[in-house]
Amino acid sequence: MAFCKSASRIWNQFFFTGFSGESLGLLRMYIGIGLLFFHTYQFATVLTLNPIGAMYYFIEPIWYFNLLGIQYHIPAISFGMYAILMGATVSMIVGKNTRTSILVIILCIFYLKGVRDSFSGDVHHRYIIPMQILFLFLLSKCGEVHSRDARERHHPEEVQEWEASWPIKTMQLYVALFYFWSVIAKVRVSGWVWFAGEGRIQEVLIQRSVRWGVTDQGEVVKNALSFELAQHPELIQVFGILVLTFELCFPLLLLIKSVRLRLAFIMGVTMFHIATFVLMDVNFILIPFVYLIFFDLVPIHQWLKTRAWPFFRRRFSIAG
Amino acid sequence: MSRRTVNITIVLYLIVVWAAVIFRIDYFPLTWVPMYSVYEPSETISKSIKDKAAMRKGLRVTHRDGSISYVSYKDLNIPKPNYRRLHFSRTFGTAPPKHKQGNTELGSLNRFVRGLNEDESNFSVDWEWRMFWTLNKTLQFKPADPKFIVRIEVSKQRRIYRKADLAKGDASKVEIQTQQAVLDWQDQWVKRWNHGLL
Repeated sequence: MAFCKSASRIWNQFFFTGFSGESLGLLRMYIGIGLLFFHTYQFATVLTLNPIGAMYYFIEPIWYFNLLGIQYHIPAISFGMYAILMGATVSMIVGKNTRTSILVIILCIFYLKGVRDSFSGDVHHRYIIPMQILFLFLLSKCGEVHSRDARERHHPEEVQEWEASWPIKTMQLYVALFYFWSVIAKVRVSGWVWFAGEGRIQEVLIQRSVRWGVTDQGEVVKNALSFELAQHPELIQVFGILVLTFELCFPLLLLIKSVRLRLAFIMGVTMFHIATFVLMDVNFILIPFVYLIFFDLVPIHQWLKTRAWPFFRRRFSIAG
Repeated sequence: MSRRTVNITIVLYLIVVWAAVIFRIDYFPLTWVPMYSVYEPSETISKSIKDKAAMRKGLRVTHRDGSISYVSYKDLNIPKPNYRRLHFSRTFGTAPPKHKQGNTELGSLNRFVRGLNEDESNFSVDWEWRMFWTLNKTLQFKPADPKFIVRIEVSKQRRIYRKADLAKGDASKVEIQTQQAVLDWQDQWVKRWNHGLL
């Protein structure tokens, strides 16, 4: 009985406290701004195609294309979908028909990601976290604050702390688990040898550096830094332990109250993604924008509004 | 939503995302986060070299009437990175990483859930048939057409390094292998044609 009470208290304390309606509304806005860049980066290759060119028959349609019987690509539709996606994202940012906009974004991502991943059967995982966040926004009251929807309603609904907190806390929990699960996956499939100095990290470093060929002098054409690093297994071993530690300990971030400590951890994770992008061509470079979920954006927004924005405006008017 | 409904929603959500991890489900938007998880220790590292000129030219194909042409990413109207994977991987029967991740160390529970025998793969795709399907369907050739593609040819260079040499910074000791893939259309596939991949 006492255990149940204690578990219930911890559950309620975690999921239902910590954020205001304003925080939720601002998070919707800032994540939306991040998504504008993210969508473009992710679907840029699809936008290079000829909109009235050949209709390609997918070599391995993604599972929901198989289910729906979508076998080929109509390029013009992808261009239309991208335009709708960007429009819906702007609509989500300003909070106009917020829930409908989020639903449209989700559907457009499903379609465009399906197209991109069905061309050659390579399924990418970059949209998984943003999709979970969008799904939780969809269930939340994020459109009730900092939105046109709320302004148009003369008596906007007040968002309680518990209503604002649970979607953000669930997002945080998912992101933390995502990194934790990646350790489980590595150990399940490859064992602890994955983290060894002469393990997977070294292999990827070498593969990425030699794939564009080697000069007659025996030097790699591209990614010389990766090649150099691959020759130091003892250093790679340190990186391997760092990867293991930070992925395994990511859930602890949920217990850290200090904003500075959180920021330091998040900066470390961001550096990790930058490094893996530069050295190993692991394309999760834009994912750090989702880490906004780990912060209360109210003071940051205030600072931007009162300090940063007037500063930029002043500089802009001087330049003009 | 009432607080009770929210509690139920969170519990259901956590059950679903954890089930994906336990049962190794990697169907968007669910995942068990398998990216880069597969590592099989070996003495050597082999890597195919991306020949940009060959890629621009495209796959060499023979039509039913005996004529020869090239099919490039522009003809198929697909992005270059995706075409590169068709050109250097699928034609050689190499599956995307997702397949290897899904096939490696599946474990008895996940074999049982999927009804797989001990030596049965979770993912298994006949890439040869699919290449003919994709190319011919995209270019609107039917099996009886004289322009129907009956042969696909492609070659690539593989460089095989010994890990011990590379770890010493010596990339000059390399064994270079030229691999060639020749895929021939099989008339028994005509039956599959109308069903496609579904």
